[in-house]
Amino acid sequence: MPKAVPVDYQSTVKKPDDFDAFWDGVLQQAAAIPLEPEMIPDPLRTSAEVEVFQVFYTSIEHVRIAAWYCRPARRAERIPAVLLLPGYQADPPIPKEWARKGYGALSVAPRGKLRSHRQFNPGYPNLLTYNIVDRHTYTYRGFYVDSWRGIDFLLSRPEVDPARLGVTGSSQGGGLTITTAAMRPEIRAAAAGAPYLCGFMDAIALTHTYPYEEINDFLRAHPDSRRTVEETVAYFDGINFADKITCPIIVNIGLQDNVCPPETGYALFNRIRATDKQLYTYDGHGHDAGRYKHNAIVDRFFAQHLLSER
Amino acid sequence: MLPLRSTDFATLYSVRLTSLGPYRLFGYLSIPTGDGPFPAIYYVPKYQSVLEIIPQGTANLQRSRYITFALAGRGQRNADTPYAAMFPGLLTDGIDQAASYIFRGIVADSVRGLQFLLTRRELDPKRVVVVGNDTALITAALQPGATHVVTAPALFYNTAELAPQTQAYPLEEINDYLRAFPDRAEAVRRTLAYYDLRAFASHLSATTLIMAGAPGSLLDAPTLEPLVRAIQGPVTVYASEQSSYKDGLYTEQWMAAQCGITDLQSILSEHWW
Repeated sequence: MPKAVPVDYQSTVKKPDDFDAFWDGVLQQAAAIPLEPEMIPDPLRTSAEVEVFQVFYTSIEHVRIAAWYCRPARRAERIPAVLLLPGYQADPPIPKEWARKGYGALSVAPRGKLRSHRQFNPGYPNLLTYNIVDRHTYTYRGFYVDSWRGIDFLLSRPEVDPARLGVTGSSQGGGLTITTAAMRPEIRAAAAGAPYLCGFMDAIALTHTYPYEEINDFLRAHPDSRRTVEETVAYFDGINFADKITCPIIVNIGLQDNVCPPETGYALFNRIRATDKQLYTYDGHGHDAGRYKHNAIVDRFFAQHLLSER
Repeated sequence: MLPLRSTDFATLYSVRLTSLGPYRLFGYLSIPTGDGPFPAIYYVPKYQSVLEIIPQGTANLQRSRYITFALAGRGQRNADTPYAAMFPGLLTDGIDQAASYIFRGIVADSVRGLQFLLTRRELDPKRVVVVGNDTALITAALQPGATHVVTAPALFYNTAELAPQTQAYPLEEINDYLRAFPDRAEAVRRTLAYYDLRAFASHLSATTLIMAGAPGSLLDAPTLEPLVRAIQGPVTVYASEQSSYKDGLYTEQWMAAQCGITDLQSILSEHWW
């Protein structure tokens, strides 16, 4: 019988004093770079129900980011839209099912992922620890911005209602959902599953599975870098973004999650500032975080917040 | 040798080997510390771009007890020169010609990987587990040496008939393809017939665990029954409980029992015991 998970688990992560200044600087740098969105119809994947497009846009450091965009073939003048963020090693899916439900849906491949790895390709394993000793060049500095700029792409679409934007994903997608909801005030609803990138330094002690194990590998090879690594990842830890989230949000975790320890899920949830927040815990579930039951909850949540026009 | 991924309990190697084509492949081989022989787990090429050392969520300590070998088939990262696969896209690449269908090469890659693994002197040839989706079963049927198979059919079971019943990838690739090229339906059906798991079943003598979908899903246990009946060797069918914990734990327990590992708890993820 697996051990019980403490619901009041306290993360060791501390928010750096210049956390906001660091990200303000990143956003200023990003704002100076034109989005240059490109949308290419994909007739092979398009059907009578759903139109599919390959999307490209430019992110920080001028890295060209790929994505899939789907929209209902028959739609109202303005539709709600959802930003879908991918798992660590998963290939970003073509989000047809979201378009079938009436949303515009953008599924982003941040830098290093398939179709976005021409200019930046640290590989897998390695993406998690690439330049982890320097917050100014660490993988996730650009990776986060790539995700956030997906919202800029959606805002550039005339069919998208800018007042009805959501964000969701699981695992790394769950962690990116947290940071996106924190940093993009346009988000009206967020659903984060099994959030990764939350409690980095807690996770590497709580579990010894990849991808977090990449950090243990790194520290075994570079034991003198531990403090520097801690300092770097504090700028990227979802727990440190959580007090910026004000939109309605739901989080689901599996209590036997062997990838993203459930302890870190509790620690994250307790730090989320939004008053309209709900945690769903699934006993008997691992990194799936109860997906087969929870999908219906996510559907209802977004329908409530995004499908009806305000 | 890859020192960054090596520990006091296992050493990791990068492996390059040549397959049909010729085509250069890449794999991760982990060898436990100590005197062998060791049981081995062969993770065959997957339907995803990323090659993992061991599957995400598997305790790193698995590498202390098993030799593990994970192979990138052509098109996956680290084996994507000259051919870089798309996901989705791989399942239907060249599917209208059986002789040039991409999975002809991928199956050959997977077989070559098993051939390589069987050359390792640290390996106990009585305990060789091949793990993966359809390619695991096909590999074990084509290449002697696999003593056990864990297979989760996803791509090549009655595909032409089942694909229209789903809108989910990877089988949605077939629907996309036939919507764009309806006149190629018969050619696709002919190609798929060379890969259908039922055609390999009579050649499979390894002890097999079939990971079926949850009851009512596209590839659930009743749907797979003809495959189960056709397999020559002993077969266990596990119906998914739609929990990566329960399904994953069952698989780990099954492999450990088959390989004579009695202290499984010591190599499980911390949140599974």
